[in-house]
Parts: sequence; C-alpha cells; structure tokens
Amino acid sequence: MRNRLVLGFVALGMAAVPVLAHHSFAAEYDPGKPVKLKGKVTEMEWINPHSWIHLDVTGADGKVTSWMIEGGSPNALLRQGFTKTALPAGAEIVVEGYQAKDGSARANGRDITYADGRKLFMGSSGDGAPDAKK
Amino acid sequence: MRLCLAVSLIASLCVTAYAQAPAKKYTPPKTPDGQPSIEGFWTNTTVTPLERPKDLGSKEFFTPEEAAAYAKKVLETKEVTGPGTYADVHYDMSQFGLTRAQNKIAGNTRTSIIVGPEGRVPAMLPAAAQRNAARAAANKGHEFDGPENRGLAERCLLWGNEGPPMLPAGYNSNLQIVQGKGYVTVMQEMIHDVRVIPTDGRAHLDPSIRQWFGDSVGHWEGNTLVVDTTNFTDRTAMRGSSENLHVVERFTRTDDDTVLYQFTVSDPSTWEKSWSGELPMSKTAGPIFEYACHEGNYGMANNLSGARAEEKAKASK
Repeated sequence: MRNRLVLGFVALGMAAVPVLAHHSFAAEYDPGKPVKLKGKVTEMEWINPHSWIHLDVTGADGKVTSWMIEGGSPNALLRQGFTKTALPAGAEIVVEGYQAKDGSARANGRDITYADGRKLFMGSSGDGAPDAKK
Repeated sequence: MRLCLAVSLIASLCVTAYAQAPAKKYTPPKTPDGQPSIEGFWTNTTVTPLERPKDLGSKEFFTPEEAAAYAKKVLETKEVTGPGTYADVHYDMSQFGLTRAQNKIAGNTRTSIIVGPEGRVPAMLPAAAQRNAARAAANKGHEFDGPENRGLAERCLLWGNEGPPMLPAGYNSNLQIVQGKGYVTVMQEMIHDVRVIPTDGRAHLDPSIRQWFGDSVGHWEGNTLVVDTTNFTDRTAMRGSSENLHVVERFTRTDDDTVLYQFTVSDPSTWEKSWSGELPMSKTAGPIFEYACHEGNYGMANNLSGARAEEKAKASK
C-alpha cells in the first residue's frame, strides 16, 4: 500500500504579505500562458474558497468561448457592500491572468477591470473603488 | 493610552499600550446565567508576526510610536511580482478587500505573538524533526497523486489558523463567541468550524478518542475563561506537532471592544519546552459570512487535472 500521508498544514507566521495557503495557484495555472480576455459576464459564483466569474469571450474568428475566472473569497466583498448584483450578467470586463495548465478555458483573475481600466470591485486604498452600494 | 494613526484611507490603527495585565480594572458585562461575557464578533487580524523578527532580538515590546510605524510599514508594503513568474499567478487580494490594510486590526505593541525573550517557537526535538522529515519524504513525488496527498487546508478539512491555538487567518480572520449555560462556543469564519467548549467541570475524553480539534474543556477563573485541550489526532501537525499536543488558552475581556487571547502550547514529543503567545481580539461588526470551503472547491479538481496535464506533457517529450 502506497504510504499516503496527510501533511499537516503548517501555520504560517504573519509575514508582511499574508500568504494564501489553501491551494497552490501554480499547480492550477501556467505562468507561461498569460492571457488577456475581454468579454461579457454571464454569471458570477459567490462561493468560497474562491469566487468564479463566467465570461463569454468572442475570438477573432467570431467563436464564443466560455471562460471561468478564479477570484477571491466573496466574504470581504460582502462586508464592503458589494452584493451579487454588483457584477450583473452582461457587464463587460477585462481579465488579465494565466491560463489553466490543462489548457481548458480557465484563468486566474490576476487583474480584473472594466474596459476603461477601473478596477472591478476595489483596488488598494486610494485607488477610488467604484460605488459599492447599488 | 491609545495612539491612533491613519495608516491608509481605509484602515486606521489604534495601538494600545499593552502590558500583561491591563492598567485599568474592567468589569465585563455578564451573560444571563452569570458568566463574564466574551460574546460577540471578534477579529484577530494583526500586523504582529507569530515569531519575532530576528533583528529585534529580545525586544518584546515596541513603544506606541514604534508600533504604529511598524504597522504602517507592514500595511503599506505592496506585493511585487514579476510577470510570468509563479508568484504572479494569483489574483490581487486588494481587489477583493482581502488585504489587512482593508480590514480592522487589533493593535498591540508586542513585537511578536509569541511572548518572552526569544519570541520564537523553540527548537524541535531531533526525533520530531525526523518524524516530520519522514512524512514529507514519503509524500515526495506523490504530492498530486490524489486528494489525500494534498494538505488539509486544500482539502477543506481544516485550516491551520483554527488550532487550537487560534491564530490569525490570512483573511476573513473573524470569529463569533456565543455563550450558553454550561458552554462557550467559538465559531471561526475560517473555515466555518465551531468549537463547543463545556464549562461544567467534566473530565477530558478517554485517551483512545482523538479528535481533529482535540477535546476542549473550560472553566472560569474570575473573569478569565481557561480552556484546556488534549486528545489531538496526529493528522493536524500544528507546526509539526504530534498527537501529544496540549494547548491551554485564556480569554479575558479587557474592555468593551477587546478580548485578550493567550495560549500556551506544549508537546513533549515535539518541542524541548512549551511556548506561549498572546494577541488581542478586537470587536468587529457581524455577521460571520459562511465560508463553505469545499462547496466551491474547484481548485482541488483543477490542481489534480493540472498535474495530470503536466505528466502527459512530460511523457510525450
């Protein structure tokens, strides 16, 4: 029997930047496959551990591909006043990220903005987060 | 004495000059059945690291001004990653309100959560180091064979911040305490687990019964809830610990907006001596939003399919 051991999760000391440890993005996505996607939101899954934005992207050939974009935990967004109506279906967004290692239409949402470059939900303090209450 | 500093447009940090025993005598409100109340929503988000930075040596406390300056430095540090690197393969946490600068922080003047002149986890016993190295070696090359080869956090079984001892999570570091007759319950948002702590004086479970969070029993010493936890499994390995882990926690309401959380960790199979820490928990607004970790855990399937894709690519070369 292969010796399968559960490795304990080592509690991380609080370094200057909090490190997410629940899974390795590098295991999921390929840093050699950067993508920049512009498309229409069809759905946003407000779930944990990561929210997922579903995006219809029209290629140069006119073919529409449905992408899944991995984002952050929605709990903090809810606390900031963003609700599930904050990103309505049909909204046009731009996603920069990296494509899934297995080549499927998935990417991590490294930077998610409106077409004019404004951050979708909120940036760091002072970036002028869009109006949260709708 | 409190020194408040606006560290960003969103976060403001009020640093309390913290000592082992608070200067002012405070009488907490009582629950209907007469327990001192530690009820409410609390956050243990902090800028204070678990272990003291080496360059601070035996300096256990900052002055309030030093603490505020340190906090400002930590909160304003921006993650810099190069495109095309593994470190860049992530989302910008600030977009989702997940950075510490965007959340409430309980200020304190300690230089580390771990108290004492060293301020660090003590040296691991050689046998324990060997035990942990053997575990890692056994999994080497098998890290993506299947779900059981992934860490507990990835499998959404439990996260390291939950302990006990309870330490800050990377984000959403919130908890709710509800007290009933004969019980104190602590719900940690990360990852939606509830600790039910009886205070009726019962003994611990039989040593043959082991639990993921151990078995906790509590009692009151004045206004301090003392919680004793044993009966851990060997699966959680909190910083490399064994099933002989023993944690004692203390919760003391020090003012309306603060609960002081103290803990002592011992494991004679792992560390040469016990180690203790403390951290204030600050009142925060509820509710706790459910963090149903595995409900949306596409990551598990995606990680494994990424590994299968990599293997296929290597095999076809």
